[in-house]
Amino acid sequence: MALDRRTLLQIIPAALAARRLLAQSHCSMQAEQAAAPYQFQFFTPDEVTLVDNLMEHIIPADEHSPGAHAARAVEFADLMIATSPDYVKQDWRTALQLVAAELKTRSIEDWLVGISQNEDDPQTVLEIFFPMLKQMTINGYYSSAIGIHHDLHYQGNTYVQSFEGCQHPEHQS
Amino acid sequence: MANVVYDVAVIGSGAAGGMVTKTLCESGAKVILLEAGVEVPPSKFRSHCWPYELKYRGYRSEKQEPFYPPDLAGSFRSESNEGVSVDRIRVLGGRTLHWNAVVLRYAPSDFREHTLQGMEDDWPISYEELAPYYERVEQMIGVCGQDDHLEILPAGKSYMPPPPFRCSEQILKRQAAKLGIPVIPVRKALNTRPNDNRPACHYCGHCMDGCDVSAIFSTPGSMLPKARETGNLTLRQNALAREILVDTNGLARGVSIVDRITQQDEEIRARIIVVCCATVETARLLLNSRSPRFPAGLANSSGVVGRYLNGHLGDSANLYLDELAGTPPKNIDGCLDHAFIPRYKTKTPAGAFDFQVNYSGFMFPFQAYSLKGFGSTFKDKVRAMQPGYLMLGGFGKVMARAENRITVDPNVKDRYGIPIAVMHFAYSDLDHAVFREMRATVDELCASLKGEVMKKMRDRPGGFASHEVGTARMGTDPRTSVLNSFCQAHDVKNLFVTDGSAFTTSSEKNPTLTILALSLRASEYIAQQRRLGEL
Repeated sequence: MALDRRTLLQIIPAALAARRLLAQSHCSMQAEQAAAPYQFQFFTPDEVTLVDNLMEHIIPADEHSPGAHAARAVEFADLMIATSPDYVKQDWRTALQLVAAELKTRSIEDWLVGISQNEDDPQTVLEIFFPMLKQMTINGYYSSAIGIHHDLHYQGNTYVQSFEGCQHPEHQS
Repeated sequence: MANVVYDVAVIGSGAAGGMVTKTLCESGAKVILLEAGVEVPPSKFRSHCWPYELKYRGYRSEKQEPFYPPDLAGSFRSESNEGVSVDRIRVLGGRTLHWNAVVLRYAPSDFREHTLQGMEDDWPISYEELAPYYERVEQMIGVCGQDDHLEILPAGKSYMPPPPFRCSEQILKRQAAKLGIPVIPVRKALNTRPNDNRPACHYCGHCMDGCDVSAIFSTPGSMLPKARETGNLTLRQNALAREILVDTNGLARGVSIVDRITQQDEEIRARIIVVCCATVETARLLLNSRSPRFPAGLANSSGVVGRYLNGHLGDSANLYLDELAGTPPKNIDGCLDHAFIPRYKTKTPAGAFDFQVNYSGFMFPFQAYSLKGFGSTFKDKVRAMQPGYLMLGGFGKVMARAENRITVDPNVKDRYGIPIAVMHFAYSDLDHAVFREMRATVDELCASLKGEVMKKMRDRPGGFASHEVGTARMGTDPRTSVLNSFCQAHDVKNLFVTDGSAFTTSSEKNPTLTILALSLRASEYIAQQRRLGEL
């Protein structure tokens, strides 16, 4: 049964609205679960403090936007590690113990400056750990509402009627 | 139910299965569509969920998790060291539920590799024979794009308007032109205006997470409603095909299925069987369908079933354009890739590659993975670079070679007791040559674009980008092929295979439009043969 244009124009906005509501309610259900108070599963209380501090140094709060601490990147890290294979857990535990020992004599800032010098070619356990920690911070921060909206000011993931392409003559020739 | 004999049993509900089901239902056949997965309605899609609304923030393929039930695990093994992967979805609609919808016609030369290049084999069908079906499929599914009058990329008579280029794509086009490299609008099975009782795209950029309004073509959104309207469709979900059964005359008599919920086995009887399970599962099913009449597997007197596995090789590069750095953020999600670089090195086999542009989305700052350092400087740099993001994804042809294949392991079974599929694959010298040419082109493009390259292509190609084909190839000679030009098994006249398995060879172009065209052609042949009483 073919629908005429008039009928289509009546049906489509209503169908779209209904589907949007359905999709939103589905995401909302997920969001409620995601927003529930987080219970740490892997990190010890001391490790929570340590990782939270390290992450906040990697992506700090500044005049532009809050940092990894406010984005609760440490909770994300805990969940991801807690649900990873045992060897991943062991790598993190070992590295965090080594970092904690290092920080008895150095500040976090100093330690990060030193350890990040060999980011391109990590050799030691802690040099190898740094990219893992940094990637976890990146993943946690830029998947958070703070990272996506406050920091990057991402404008998408929405319904728009039309897409406006590039309007800049200088880009075209 | 046990006594019902359907006219046609279609196994698998992806692009091929959807087309076959619709066409044959409309021809008056009583069709049962067997799907191992279940329907995931658009309301359950996670496409529009924000990462922070999801448990794992969208990592671990969380958005697509509903399409990949846990019981897929353990039903496949790779014995390849090439790092290639195959996609084995289990959901009503198959991969049409989360594809990028790029639809490209094969060129006349793509069907004649042996004649023109002295390599591989020619297809038993020409472009000219398939062109009318391409045309009808394009009208049926709705395609946006344009005719760029390229011999290597034939076009249809009318397309919906393509999505306009973003700034990064205009800059790419401007610079590529200086190198003689064309940048044209992509062709996608996507409504840029209402069409086929489906709305226009709303440019959310979530094509591959499931289109919640079916602006992108999918089997559930486009084909199954039409099949249902005929009253001829029976849909059976959770029906995992164990084997195809044959009668004493060597004809297919039905499909042995296991219900994934009840774990009960059942025989679905039909006069014609059309296999549309996708390249890996189709080979697995045929090879597991052994009988005294067909001891090496069904339709496998040639020994070719499972062989000639191939698919796209490729990799991607990311760069960040200086011209756009620090510009105000704007919504540039669109429908993922809007621009396309078609194959332009058409005279050499190593030039068989093209590029899809910007299909990875714009929410996540991938440059953060590559930028060195930490702290506010790092954070500022990530933010400043984000508007300049440009991604080039290369797709290259892989040779169809007999030694690359799917086998089954009778000693290792999945949780339903079905022998698992095993992949054996290695790239050829020509495949590596294609990849080297592709990478050189990317390097050349990046060098001409002012910006920072944050991810280069690797030294070795990846694959198959969900574009695997070729394990039940068509051909004129039953000794060297499985199917004739109508996708009909040489050995079993009431057995057809119309998914990517049927490809004789592949090209740099995405396979789905050709799968749809072959499926339409095969379906109409089946309908005709039924009318003549031949099937």
